[in-house]
Amino acid sequence: MTIPTHEDQQQAQETLAYIRRTMESASTFTAVSGWGLVGVGLVGLLAAWLASSGGTPSDLRVWIPAAVLSVTLALAANAYKASRLRVPVWSGAVRKMVWVMTPAIAAGAILTFALHDAGVAQLLPGTWLALYGAGVSAGGTFSVRAIRAMGITFLLLGATALLRPDLGLALLAVGFGGVHLGIGLDLVWRHGG
Amino acid sequence: MGSSVTDELDRLIHERVRLGIVSALAADESLSFGDLKKILSATDGNLSVHARKLEEAGYIKATKGFADRKPKTEFRLTTKGRRALENYLDQMEAILSVARDALERA
Repeated sequence: MTIPTHEDQQQAQETLAYIRRTMESASTFTAVSGWGLVGVGLVGLLAAWLASSGGTPSDLRVWIPAAVLSVTLALAANAYKASRLRVPVWSGAVRKMVWVMTPAIAAGAILTFALHDAGVAQLLPGTWLALYGAGVSAGGTFSVRAIRAMGITFLLLGATALLRPDLGLALLAVGFGGVHLGIGLDLVWRHGG
Repeated sequence: MGSSVTDELDRLIHERVRLGIVSALAADESLSFGDLKKILSATDGNLSVHARKLEEAGYIKATKGFADRKPKTEFRLTTKGRRALENYLDQMEAILSVARDALERA
């Protein structure tokens, strides 16, 4: 090989850094684990079935542990996917996603207790679905189209559940169960797990 | 660039946007036109032109379809494209290695 000049060497370093940055960016763009979402969907279906068996659609004794388990599952699956792709778990894109999702999720947590104490628990399914949808569609700006679509679907389900509280439990099962499963499988198929 | 060293590189993926497309697709199995546009901060026209060149060379494969009644193009890296990127990376590393050796000898 011809002896490279100092300029060639600098260009090679910059090019390798550019390739690394682009690969990281592409990987974190789809860092949401499809298998994680599939797990969250199964937890959602199980929670809906338990709430239905208990006769209380928005039973906090069922849904709070389900939410904690879902977050744990999703975090573990995302961390596993990031390590498999050899990209940082806490990358720029993931940080931004978490930041823009947090206000809506926090509002959902506060409203859960406020609505429960006010005796209007029938509005909880719609509130959960709508605020989760708001968070996911905002966070989805930094991810693939499927995540943004998932957020909008949750928003629509939430609006429907707020207008028709009698359908709350069914819509929770469709959203937290079915939509998570569907989008999770789509990510597994198209974005490597 | 334009020295004799860089003249030996695969010109097809040496160009910045094309290198970006190939690198992104090496990290992710399948990306849509919109995904690539975001990752590379490229314009529609620029991305189309470069993606077409890579497709014509057989480095990437485009699948056209519809999503929500809107046309959607998904890209994947072919085996030929992956091999070309690996060769390109080897060439880059070789440049650095030769330069390092020359520095040590000096």
